[in-house]
Amino acid sequence: MQLTDFTQFTGSCFNGEPASCACACPFALDVRGFAEKCEKGRWNAAWKALKTAVVFPAVVAALCPAPCREHCQRAPLGGAIDVPGLEKAAIRFARKKAEGYNVPPHTQTVAVVGAGACGLSAALNLALKKYVVTVFDKLPGWGGSLRDDPRFPEFEEDFKLQFSAVKEGFCNFIFDKAVTEADLASFDAVYFATGEGGFRLEGDKYFAGGPCAGWTMMEGIAMGPEASKVMEAYLMTGRPEPILPHEHAAHCDRYVSHDGAESAPPCETETEEGAQAEAARCLKCDCTECIDHCIMLQHFRKKPHGLAREAYADSAAAPPIATQSLVRQTYSCTNCGRCNAVCPTNANLGAMFMLSRTDRFRRNTGPRAFHDFWLREMDFSTGEASVFLAPKGKETCSYVFFPGCRLGMSAPRLVKEAYRFLQDTTGGDTGLMLGCCGVPALWAGDLDRLNANIAKLREGWEKLGRPTVVFACATCERTFRQYLPEIPLVSLYRKMAEAGLQPAKPSYDKAAVFDPCAAREDSELRSSVRDLAKLEGTELTELPGESRCCGFGGHIKVPNPELFRRFGEEAAAEAEEPYLVYCINCREVFKTRGKECRHILEEYFGPETGGIPSILEKRQNALTLKKELMKEGWDLDFTPSANPWDALELDISAELRQKMEETLVSISDLQETIWNAETAGDKLQRQDGWFLASLVKSVITYWVQYRPAEGGSENAFEVGAVYSHRMKWRGAEIQ
Amino acid sequence: MDEMNWKCFKCGVPLTKKAVVFEYMNRSFSHEVPVCPQCGKVFISEELAEGRMAEVEAALEDK
Repeated sequence: MQLTDFTQFTGSCFNGEPASCACACPFALDVRGFAEKCEKGRWNAAWKALKTAVVFPAVVAALCPAPCREHCQRAPLGGAIDVPGLEKAAIRFARKKAEGYNVPPHTQTVAVVGAGACGLSAALNLALKKYVVTVFDKLPGWGGSLRDDPRFPEFEEDFKLQFSAVKEGFCNFIFDKAVTEADLASFDAVYFATGEGGFRLEGDKYFAGGPCAGWTMMEGIAMGPEASKVMEAYLMTGRPEPILPHEHAAHCDRYVSHDGAESAPPCETETEEGAQAEAARCLKCDCTECIDHCIMLQHFRKKPHGLAREAYADSAAAPPIATQSLVRQTYSCTNCGRCNAVCPTNANLGAMFMLSRTDRFRRNTGPRAFHDFWLREMDFSTGEASVFLAPKGKETCSYVFFPGCRLGMSAPRLVKEAYRFLQDTTGGDTGLMLGCCGVPALWAGDLDRLNANIAKLREGWEKLGRPTVVFACATCERTFRQYLPEIPLVSLYRKMAEAGLQPAKPSYDKAAVFDPCAAREDSELRSSVRDLAKLEGTELTELPGESRCCGFGGHIKVPNPELFRRFGEEAAAEAEEPYLVYCINCREVFKTRGKECRHILEEYFGPETGGIPSILEKRQNALTLKKELMKEGWDLDFTPSANPWDALELDISAELRQKMEETLVSISDLQETIWNAETAGDKLQRQDGWFLASLVKSVITYWVQYRPAEGGSENAFEVGAVYSHRMKWRGAEIQ
Repeated sequence: MDEMNWKCFKCGVPLTKKAVVFEYMNRSFSHEVPVCPQCGKVFISEELAEGRMAEVEAALEDK
């Protein structure tokens, strides 16, 4: 992987870059940082930052036209920040001390023609670096055109202060002297700062700045240090380069949103308190939209540019020799797309994290345990639970229903009802595709598995005569759009709204539609669901801003259970009203958190009763659904495969069941563990009658503490404890 | 101690503490756990699995 593979997703981000005011400043003063220091009353530090940027603070504070104010984002909220006022305050309240550089002296000589502010700026910089500088001016003293300004005494004090840091002998002034070419012959380099239309010579060793080079006075002062660098380079290499002005104005238009910022009137800057208050008005503009809108990014406290660099560094790391730094965060992204949706420059951290997952999977540096459960679920959904069928008696069809894997697992009745509805409204011309879109593989970074499934879906769809796929799950739709763009798609909800299906009595008078992340870019899907909700007469309220993720996205539950919980809680708390959802995973998350919600299909096909099915029940539901649909529509028999351990009856406490659901342990895993132990006798025994057995399944080792159920059959067991770990043991040394 | 109350069902002998090599994320290390002295069957307690082992797993995953 190259660095650009990752930075392509964050290259446009301007987090941490100069604010719009600083871009407008001829000195590129970091106004944000300067205001922060002023706000805290750190006047010495503020003055030092000011002096470093503007060379002569008193001159600039008095004369700069302050283009920063035109691009101050505080302007519409009470008026632009008084930056010149803050500069004057820093000058007034700081203990000012000029500082030189500790560098060895140079023997080369430089002449500066013109002792105005521009010439002095270059001369000061060269003299501080210990070049022997001679400043000429035809006037009787320094200051040039500023000598006529009534504030000249202030300016002269500033000049004196700054030049006080120059070591003796490194800056000589010759006034009342109109220089000629002959006067300059002995110097190694010459800088002309002679004012508009002033005297200058052309040649390798001659440089020019300020108004005589077409710059403003402020640009001339600002460019003094740059001119000094160009001349130094010439003195070292003998090759003259042009003095190029800063391209500071390029990003003046990078404004950030200030939602919730209140208007505040300007403050006087004469007093210390007043100046601090004025500095506090500065909004310290920096774009943090993605971070402000993502609890994952807030949790890990890293910034977009740094994340891209770290993701790249991880891609080049070879653990255990070189360690990675971004593993947990990479697998904690829900891939919800919210960061991208709120980014003013279309940066896409979610896509970057997904690329990083792909890279980690390919290089086998990502923990397999994070996605092992979901990949096994996908294999089940695309294997035994899958079937592609044209309507009975037909080879092809105009429509095919693709309900997705999770809806049939959690609410098989809704799939059956929806399929019946589609058959009714299409004159029996809707086929059936039970399967999985492959997003678990995408989220795991397993592109081979994803592509194999995509090929299988494409082949099945082509065999069915390339029908329009009716989807019920927004994530399936997004995956199809990305990987099977040739397939025409329509949502079940659009078909229902168009058919004028009569709703049952609405569950709620007032509700909010909670959009799944994958519907973010599908306005038609979002409006279809709202149409359905309105048809049934529910008053809808809209959730604020870009939709959040319920936490299910990206399968972050294993790598970051705490963040998974927080995503769910925050999404549930978005509105007091009950939610109408159209993603079965959102429904499960909200039901688990105690948030009142219904799937929109429940509103039309009747509410689901009972709790959330367990992991095992979900699989059983999927197989039963397949069996019943095949029987009902095709008169085909399907017998789900059976395991010898299926007959084991386990008595598991509610507390333990909850723990198993949270840690994604299926009852089937327990049955298999116990059955293996009982069959082979490979178990531990305690005096009080408990047994303990373990089973290594894929990358997880399960442990079950159990004993025969009291008064039960020989297949009945009571489970006392369930736990698992990811480490494997190689074996003990037996003596 | 609870963990030493277990015995191997097959061999019928009490477990004894032995150094066992564990592997995770391409790293390996050894730790003393109760083991059947005859067949080598290993015992991992719930406390160990959900305590120290989970901590080490998380630390290795983050590297």
